[in-house]
Amino acid sequence: MSHLLSCHSLKRQQGDRVLLSVDQLVLELGQTYLLTGANGAGKTTLLRALAGLDSARCANFEFEGVQRSLSPYPRKLHRRIGFVHHHPILFSTSVVANITFGLHATGASRPEAAQRADAAITWAGIRPLVDTPPQALSAGEKQRVALARVHAMDPVLYLLDEPTANLDENGRDLVTRLIDAISKEGRTLLIACHDRELLNLSGVTRLNMTAGRLEVAS
Amino acid sequence: MQLIETTQEALRLLFVGDSELWQIVWISLKISIGALLLVTPLAIVAGYLLATQRFPGRRILVVVVQALFAFPTVVVGLLLYMLLSRHGPLGSLQLLFTQTAMVIGQMLIAAPILIAFTLSAVQGADARVRETAIVLGAGRVRTALSVLREVRFGVMAAVFNGFGRVISEVGCALMVGGNIAGMTRNMPTAIALETTKGEFAQGVALGIVLMTLALSVNFAMSWAQGAGDQRR
Ligand SMILES: Nc1ncnc2c1ncn2[C@@H]1O[C@H](COP(=O)(O)OP(=O)(O)OP(=O)(O)O)[C@@H](O)[C@H]1O
Ligand SMILES: [Mg+2]
Repeated sequence: MSHLLSCHSLKRQQGDRVLLSVDQLVLELGQTYLLTGANGAGKTTLLRALAGLDSARCANFEFEGVQRSLSPYPRKLHRRIGFVHHHPILFSTSVVANITFGLHATGASRPEAAQRADAAITWAGIRPLVDTPPQALSAGEKQRVALARVHAMDPVLYLLDEPTANLDENGRDLVTRLIDAISKEGRTLLIACHDRELLNLSGVTRLNMTAGRLEVAS
Repeated sequence: MQLIETTQEALRLLFVGDSELWQIVWISLKISIGALLLVTPLAIVAGYLLATQRFPGRRILVVVVQALFAFPTVVVGLLLYMLLSRHGPLGSLQLLFTQTAMVIGQMLIAAPILIAFTLSAVQGADARVRETAIVLGAGRVRTALSVLREVRFGVMAAVFNGFGRVISEVGCALMVGGNIAGMTRNMPTAIALETTKGEFAQGVALGIVLMTLALSVNFAMSWAQGAGDQRR
């Protein structure tokens, strides 16, 4: 297996407080990682740093075999690394416009964007939702539209922050199936979640965080 | 009774289509809408940058904008008059007592309102909107447009508010416009000056137009704010 991402001494500080202090993080291509830890352990902080939303220092950040800086974050990394918020937000346009947003932003032509959005809609099983105003969707439906939106971009690494939080059993099932499909496509996933909501996925690696530090669990 | 006669005469002027009266209305609208068209894009950019960028002096700028909010328009007129008067720094442009000078004055009056409203609308926007645009690969401009789109009702309320203020503003229009008939005489200056010369009916007629406009603008503003709140 080859490294998709590796970095050493990843740190984020806010004033005197150390929010994140990870000695080493290595993600292998095609692997799924579950990131667990208590409230406030730093799971969201780690995902946001890797997504380029919060600045963090890092001694040696390598992605797809290329040496990169983490802050300033290179814009083209957004094409390769997808991030979905804990409680994702949809633009108040339309479901389709949400899904084509990233495609237009990264320079896809109109027909190409339309075609890829259509494929993502089928993939996520959200065809019945396309005429509903995004604000009116339920939490589980929003989560699936958000997954379709990031899937349309076809990133190599997915960073998902508690994708099944606050969903009922059925909603959790639907989302878990989508995550499983992403993993079967050979993509890499780093998913923050709580122990009680552990996703029912096979062959995952668990990473545990405590107070901003990372340890590999069994 | 004189009041009834005056009102009757005012209504006659309005509905018969008195050309002098409607010319004044037209000049007013032209100047105010023109000023807003020119200043709105700049003010929205300024408000957005003040809300999203962190740079030294930002807090001071925000305080200055809020202070300008409460600036008496006649003082704006005074400053502009001194700049544009023949011996002022911009005297060579010969803009004093022109529609252009009035447009500039109204831009200056509307700008702080528009900037402050946009600033608070953008600050009130959910941070995830901006972050989502960024992680989906949007550049600065596309990110800004998607945030502004989410708060468009707040921005629209800002524009209506600015219009309501400049359309009825008399101090600056009088100082830098000069109430020249057919040129710089707009509704507020006509009401303020011509009434004292005995043009009661015209004053009342213009008053009715102005009130109607102000009410519509207020109505549009509360509609925009209501529509914005409903989406939360
Ligand atoms: N901007 C900030 N300033 C100060 N502290 C912060 C900031 N952002 C995050 N923190 C702190 O960092 C710690 C880690 O937060 P984080 O959101 O990453 O936790 P988490 O593991 O995702 O928790 P949860 O399970 O509740 O989602 C928390 O104690 C939080 O208070
Ligand atoms: Mg979290």
